[in-house]
Amino acid sequence: MDMTYGREDHKTDVLVVGGGIGGLAAAVSIKELAPELDVMIVEKQTAGYSGKANKGGGVLQYFDLTRIKPEDFVAYHAANIGCFLGDQDLMKTYVSMNNHMLDKLVEWGARLPKRADGGYDVVPTGPMTAMIGVDLDITLKIRQTAEKMGVKVLDKVTVSDLLTANGRIAGAVGYSILDGKFYTFNAKAVVLATGSQNYRIGPMWSSGRGDGIAAAYRAGAEMRNAEFGNFAQLVKVRSHHEVVFGENYMYNKNDVHITKNFRTHPEPDISSTAVAEWYKQISADLGPIILKEEKAPGGGIYGIWDRPYGQTFWRLNEESGAAIDVDAEVCPMLIGEQSPLKVGHDMMTTIPGLYAVGDVSYCGSAAPGAVPAPPARNRGSGILNAVFAGIMCSQSAVDTAKGIGMPDVDEAQIEACAERVYAPLKRKSGASSKDVIRLVQKAIGPVEQSVYMSAHRIDTALKYVEKAKELAKELAADDFHELLSCHEAEAMVLCAEMQFRAARLRRESRGWFLREDYPEMDNENWLKWIIVKKHGDEMVFVTEDVPYEKWPIRPL
Amino acid sequence: MIDTRHKINFDASKCVGCKLCYKACFVDVIRWDEEKKKPVFKYVEDCEHCFYCASVCKKGCIEVVPDYSSEKLLQTFDRYL
Repeated sequence: MDMTYGREDHKTDVLVVGGGIGGLAAAVSIKELAPELDVMIVEKQTAGYSGKANKGGGVLQYFDLTRIKPEDFVAYHAANIGCFLGDQDLMKTYVSMNNHMLDKLVEWGARLPKRADGGYDVVPTGPMTAMIGVDLDITLKIRQTAEKMGVKVLDKVTVSDLLTANGRIAGAVGYSILDGKFYTFNAKAVVLATGSQNYRIGPMWSSGRGDGIAAAYRAGAEMRNAEFGNFAQLVKVRSHHEVVFGENYMYNKNDVHITKNFRTHPEPDISSTAVAEWYKQISADLGPIILKEEKAPGGGIYGIWDRPYGQTFWRLNEESGAAIDVDAEVCPMLIGEQSPLKVGHDMMTTIPGLYAVGDVSYCGSAAPGAVPAPPARNRGSGILNAVFAGIMCSQSAVDTAKGIGMPDVDEAQIEACAERVYAPLKRKSGASSKDVIRLVQKAIGPVEQSVYMSAHRIDTALKYVEKAKELAKELAADDFHELLSCHEAEAMVLCAEMQFRAARLRRESRGWFLREDYPEMDNENWLKWIIVKKHGDEMVFVTEDVPYEKWPIRPL
Repeated sequence: MIDTRHKINFDASKCVGCKLCYKACFVDVIRWDEEKKKPVFKYVEDCEHCFYCASVCKKGCIEVVPDYSSEKLLQTFDRYL
């Protein structure tokens, strides 16, 4: 093979791809169960700094399990949030493990503010839910813990493809984004923790670019709930800073409180109907839409807890927005959050030995149901779902790694991957990654195409995706930074295609999923999951019945 | 986001070479000059104004100056492109 950039081969019992909260939780959990196993984290930037957990609001969902039963929350969630598309057993396990997960985070070094009496400093958010803060060095602390336990960390290396042998996972390949060196990883078990697809639109915590999803798809893994990759949030039109819960205070140019058009009772978070309402108002020339928000004293949630590490980060962001936001005019911004890797309760994908945790598989796990995840209209569930999945995969990953010998790797497969990976560098001219991304963003960005959908508007979006797909065949790069951007652009094309084509199939509205041409929930025909998989060069869609009969909460 | 025009001002005289800004950048804007032990702001057009580099710099060497007009909202209406 072409050795222009050099090659380095690794063998490890367990390979973890991604050094955000999910990957770190998985690595530490696996080491706790089996210290003798070699565990290696590969991260395309820097483990402990990458991912989302260190860039958001630093909140963890809390359940007072002395007061509520897990099944009470599941009943509420299944009917009101997941809309009967959620796996109620998995959600129940998640809620049941809440206090255990918080204690684990503390054990791993995370700083959760406590009250003087030693209990967690809990802020109620609803009849059954509450949240507690966590400082933003959470991932750095867990990286330190992981390294103390013997987990090896390789930064600035991106995993571009997964290796399979005899129908199971055998490892992965990738390259250094600094010098282009080619890496192979031979592993008995691989844990993908590469985050969701955010289409490079929103800033900050919406950083997932879908490269792990694309690698798993190419390797043959099935996807589920790919159509729920269309989360959008209201942002200030000047600073583009998000306004969480702003949907409760939307007013049009005639000073009419338009929230009343889509919301009759308090809801836990933004809904797609709020996004649709913005679109309808602007289309009717009733904009701009302004928030008239009652400001919480003391700097909102950031001021509630003592979290010294995150304070500078939050302050700089808030100050920069305040300097430019002369009023509270808002518009929606597509965030995305496609997280479709299909996994079972042990977080194993449909490829034996390949696990997927955190935002790469939140919707694919089916736990959140009919809603993009995170946050899945369930604030504080993003970080904790990643911790949950990391713990849930650990026993099975250990069993896999102990139960088999090191799988063979196929040099021909490795060579094919290398050829694909470096192809943009070999082209003297071609499309830039940003040309491709612009087309994908034209498809996914406008909320009437991605959130408030119709067959006609989905078809419009798909035309842009098709153009992007064509252009992506000729991607060219002149350095390794651009090479990574090319691979991310390819992943965006793939994710957008599966998202829109699945959305075209789902002829109903359910939970967050909203179609103008099919406005009703259709329990007769659509208590189904849409499964996407690769068959040869074709993207194939099939449906699976949701086994709602086995769960306590059923549609009427 | 792509094609942003955020600016990053860097005061090299205060920099002690701790490398935290380089590690904190999750979009590969910042590379590291191993000889000079200083950051190189190489791909500024990919900056997402997260302020993480400025947040972790204990010496206050880095100032991120966002140009929000260079970020796209991507809605169909002229006002929200």
